[in-house]
Amino acid sequence: MRFMIIRKADAETESETSPVGKEHEQLLKDMMAYNQAMLDAGIMRGGQGLKPSSAGARIQFRDGKPTVTDGPFTEAKELIAGFTLIEVKSKEEAIEWVRRWPASDGHGNVSLELRQLYELEDFEGVAGPELKELEKQMHASPDVPR
Amino acid sequence: MKFMVIVKADANTEAGFLFSEPPPTEMGKFNESLVKAGVLLAGEGLHPSSKGARIRYDGTQRTVIDGPFAETKELVAGFWLIQVKSKDEAIEWLKRAPFGDGAVIEIRQVFSPEDFGPALTPELKANEERLRAQAAAQQQQQ
Repeated sequence: MRFMIIRKADAETESETSPVGKEHEQLLKDMMAYNQAMLDAGIMRGGQGLKPSSAGARIQFRDGKPTVTDGPFTEAKELIAGFTLIEVKSKEEAIEWVRRWPASDGHGNVSLELRQLYELEDFEGVAGPELKELEKQMHASPDVPR
Repeated sequence: MKFMVIVKADANTEAGFLFSEPPPTEMGKFNESLVKAGVLLAGEGLHPSSKGARIRYDGTQRTVIDGPFAETKELVAGFWLIQVKSKDEAIEWLKRAPFGDGAVIEIRQVFSPEDFGPALTPELKANEERLRAQAAAQQQQQ
C-alpha cells in the first residue's frame, strides 16, 4: 500500500528565503541521506518540495464558476511544505519510517501527516478500462523530494 | 515550472467517496486533456484521514496520533503535479476543472535545484542527481 507523507508548513517554510541559505546545507544533507535510505529499502515512490504559498493561488468554485485568490495564505499550519510518497506493507511500517524523519528539519519541531493513496483496485466497479489506463499513466513521478 | 495542485477535502472525500463530485467521466476527460497537452506529471487521490496518522516532533519526542482529523477543510483529498510555463497557465488549466459548488483547490509552485542557491553544494548536487537516477531506475522496474 502507498502512503503520502505530508510535511506541514511553518513560519520558516512560508518565509521567502527558505531553504536557500548556506545554513540549510545540513538539512539538505540529512534529507538526502533519509531519501537514500528509503531508496535503498525500495520504498521511495516520489516527492516534491513546495515554495511558500506567496508563489501560489487558490481557486474556489461556486456553481461551477472559478474565483482566483493569489497567495500568500495566512494559516501556515494548514498549509503543505512538501510531500514524499512511499510504498510499504502496512501503516505501522509507514509510521516507523516517518519516525526517522531528519531531526534537523524544522530544528527538531515538525508536524507530518501520513495519508493512504487510492489504488486502481479501489476503482473496481466504478471505472471503465479507459479510466484505469489513464489512472496508471497518472501515478506519481519518480522524482525524489528536496 | 512545476506546480502541485492540491484538492482540498470536504465531507464527501472524508467519507470515502472519491467520485462523489464530479462524476468520474468528467474528471477523466479533464485528466485526458492534461495528458494530451503534456502538462500532467502525476496525480493521486487520498483515502480519508481516518486511514491516516499524524506524527509530531518535539526535539527527540515523537507523538503519533491516528486519524480521522476534524479540520476537514485543512485536509488534502488529492493532488496533481503539472508542468507549465507560468502560474497563469496553471490557473487557466484549473479553471476548466469540472468541480462543483464550494470546491477549493490550491496551486503551489514546486522547488527546483536552482532555487537552493549556495546550500546545494556541488557535492550535494551530484548526490541529488544520483538519487534521482536511482529513483528513476526503480520506477522502471515496477
